[in-house]
Amino acid sequence: MVQLSRRQVLLATGAAAVVSLTGCGDDGPDKKDLDRNRAGAMEKYGVGDQFRATEPVTFSILYNNHPNYPLKPEWLFWSELAKRTNVKLDPVAVPLSDYEQKRSVLVSSGDAPLIIPKTYHPQENSYVSSGAILPVSDYLDLMPHFAEKLEKWNLKPEMDTLRQEDGKFYLLPGLHEKPWQEYTLAVRTDILEQLGIPSPTTWDEVYTMLKAMKAAHPDVHPFSDRFGKPNPAGNLLNMLALSHGLPGAGWNYQATAWDAGAGKYVFTGASEQYRQVVTFLHKLVAEGLLDPETFTQTDDQARQKLASGKSFVISTNAQTLVNDYRPDIAKINPNARLKKIMFPIGPAGPVNPASRLENGVMISSKARENKNFVAMMQFIDWLWYSDAGQEFAKWGVEGTTYTKDASGRRAPAPDVDIVGLNPKGTKHLQKDFGFANGVFAYGGKLDLVQSFFSPEEMEFQREMNGRKPAPWVTPPPAPLTDEEREQTTLWATALKDYVTQNTLRFALGQRPLSEWDAYVTELKGKNAQAYTDLVNKAYERYRKNHG
Amino acid sequence: MVTPRPTRGYRVFQAVNAVVLTAVVVVTVYPFLTIVARSLSDNAAIVSGQVNLVPRGFNLTAYRVVTSDPAFWISYRNTVVYTVVATLISVVLTTCYAFVLSKKHLRGRTALVGIAVFTMFFTGGLIPNYVLVTSLGLKNTVWAVALPNAINVFNLLVMKAFFESLPVELEEAAAVDGLGTYGTLLRIVLPLSKAMVATMVLFYAVSFWNSWFAAFLYMDRQDLLPVTVYLRNLIVGASDATQTGGGLGSGDDIVQAAATIQSVTIVLTVLPILAVYPFIQRYFVSGIMLGAVKG
Repeated sequence: MVQLSRRQVLLATGAAAVVSLTGCGDDGPDKKDLDRNRAGAMEKYGVGDQFRATEPVTFSILYNNHPNYPLKPEWLFWSELAKRTNVKLDPVAVPLSDYEQKRSVLVSSGDAPLIIPKTYHPQENSYVSSGAILPVSDYLDLMPHFAEKLEKWNLKPEMDTLRQEDGKFYLLPGLHEKPWQEYTLAVRTDILEQLGIPSPTTWDEVYTMLKAMKAAHPDVHPFSDRFGKPNPAGNLLNMLALSHGLPGAGWNYQATAWDAGAGKYVFTGASEQYRQVVTFLHKLVAEGLLDPETFTQTDDQARQKLASGKSFVISTNAQTLVNDYRPDIAKINPNARLKKIMFPIGPAGPVNPASRLENGVMISSKARENKNFVAMMQFIDWLWYSDAGQEFAKWGVEGTTYTKDASGRRAPAPDVDIVGLNPKGTKHLQKDFGFANGVFAYGGKLDLVQSFFSPEEMEFQREMNGRKPAPWVTPPPAPLTDEEREQTTLWATALKDYVTQNTLRFALGQRPLSEWDAYVTELKGKNAQAYTDLVNKAYERYRKNHG
Repeated sequence: MVTPRPTRGYRVFQAVNAVVLTAVVVVTVYPFLTIVARSLSDNAAIVSGQVNLVPRGFNLTAYRVVTSDPAFWISYRNTVVYTVVATLISVVLTTCYAFVLSKKHLRGRTALVGIAVFTMFFTGGLIPNYVLVTSLGLKNTVWAVALPNAINVFNLLVMKAFFESLPVELEEAAAVDGLGTYGTLLRIVLPLSKAMVATMVLFYAVSFWNSWFAAFLYMDRQDLLPVTVYLRNLIVGASDATQTGGGLGSGDDIVQAAATIQSVTIVLTVLPILAVYPFIQRYFVSGIMLGAVKG
């Protein structure tokens, strides 16, 4: 038997490590060797081409089953898709209520379908280290439409936010041509008219408006808000923080936020902007303008207050205004009128703070070994990223589910309804045909995104698009290593709880704002500083390695 | 015979008892009645917070909507099938195991009890369980729901205690008369244990009727899911969908499942199991007592 000296063993281990590290480069040896995976793929597939597999193929897909339009195998979507692309999708139907949990179990147990849609960044992070999902950035040459949209819409900075420590990204996000700000406030315009005040445009004017409402109706809290999950007053905090130039506070709370001025990451809950937001909230609560129950009540309770005239202002998006608030209130007070106001402007100026990325698709690493791998990537590219595929997924089949006039304006077919565009329609685009399905249809060109909008919402979006985009909503990449991620996860929960808890105490006046500095010090005691340093270190490291 | 006059202390006790128990009943029944009232009300009345115990804007539209949804009935049928099959398996296995464990002369009895109790405190974890069930080929079958949770250790121990309380002489007599082990169990022990078995049936049936997680985990097709998952998706899903803003990107028309529809589904889901209770109630009390008082 050959005796190995300790030195030889060390040397061998070192060499092996070097070999495996070099294997991680962007152009790994694995990448180009796709000869065995081309079955069914199109020889030539480029921008503008209709994808069609050269032989019938089937791909398994995780399917997020929406309670409002439960999966039906007889949907026109499936048959038409097969007709156009020669692809049959084999859905694993998971109830929307627990989609993430099942996805997690399936991916971790190695039993995941090939295509895993409806993944919101950064949910994919936790799967990266296990190698269970595919670094899709290695295969963009198979996806001409995706690559073209990145290029044409200049989405590189946004895509960089998805990159992991190895410089690759693992998620194919939905892409929007223009940012789309959905949420803002809905206001009772009949009350505004009674009081003779104009619709507010800034947060200061919102304050003045609430003040006037309170003066006229001293027994109500004029503003009682909803969308308090998963974080209390999540949407309100988020909107306020965005207008102060701070992304990632509120319902999508992130521990650190990018401070463009300083060129580094700061701790969200200790930042100056966050202090201003909390101060503003405190002012609203202290003067009886904001219902303190905003931080604890359910959505339904907030709706009830608005409907019964116990409040006049509430957070909204286009759907909740039309589907919830207006019908609710119409039954009780036919004279009440509600309107979505422009996203209030704060110290950050008139910006459109929405991101242009959407939830997206992950691909199981097992797909790489599949003989139809190339065809699958082409198929995904066509369905989710080509103009034709996006139009198909959203509107269906021209002449059957929708019509298009000379100017290119789409309208539902006479017997089809969707989002109330054609209330006389007896069939529903989602329920009866399977189109406009959240799993397949999102993002795209401005005119496609807006094709479902009511004239009212178009007006809102036109004005929002007139505002300048906010570069600070796309922070530079600062991907953590596995160990760092584990470390930060350990810190994150306690920190987040502490921030939430103190946000409420400051806002509700249970803790005086003069103690803000003490609060920041307490956060440091809970590793807020160490957390921020780690992220800044990752940012520097990424810049050096991939910058 | 003259019944002795109840003492003053006893009367006070009774009064307090009545008050406390009435309070408990009110607290328990109130939410249920609210749900029933909501299921019969107009959606707008619910949203504006007018419905408490009396339905406002009485109508049965929601019942018609829910009962005309084929997906609801498919899930409902699944729930019935899963509950019946799983309860049957569970009761048979639990009875057999408990009977064996109740025999003092059984060698390795402590080890067998230990094995069972061990699973009360330690589990393999979600993913290993999933991998096991999947590789056994149980996925998408009723067995995935029925087999992994077939024996509930708590129920097992209750039943074991009950069997231990039966007089040994009874079985000795049966043996003298020529009955074997199975004969003893089937002809002597089980007929004496009707109350116990009925209690077990109730326990298992309720837990399988209400359970959703196993089915959610192991069923990949919509038409295999039980009504609890259907209901959960309707309630949790609908309110979550409004939250995850980005999802609306497609113009998903997300309408929160109307409050009435939710209530109707809740009522229809609990109704059968509620109807079973009164019939098993009398066994239930005696069954549990029998197990408990064993010295």
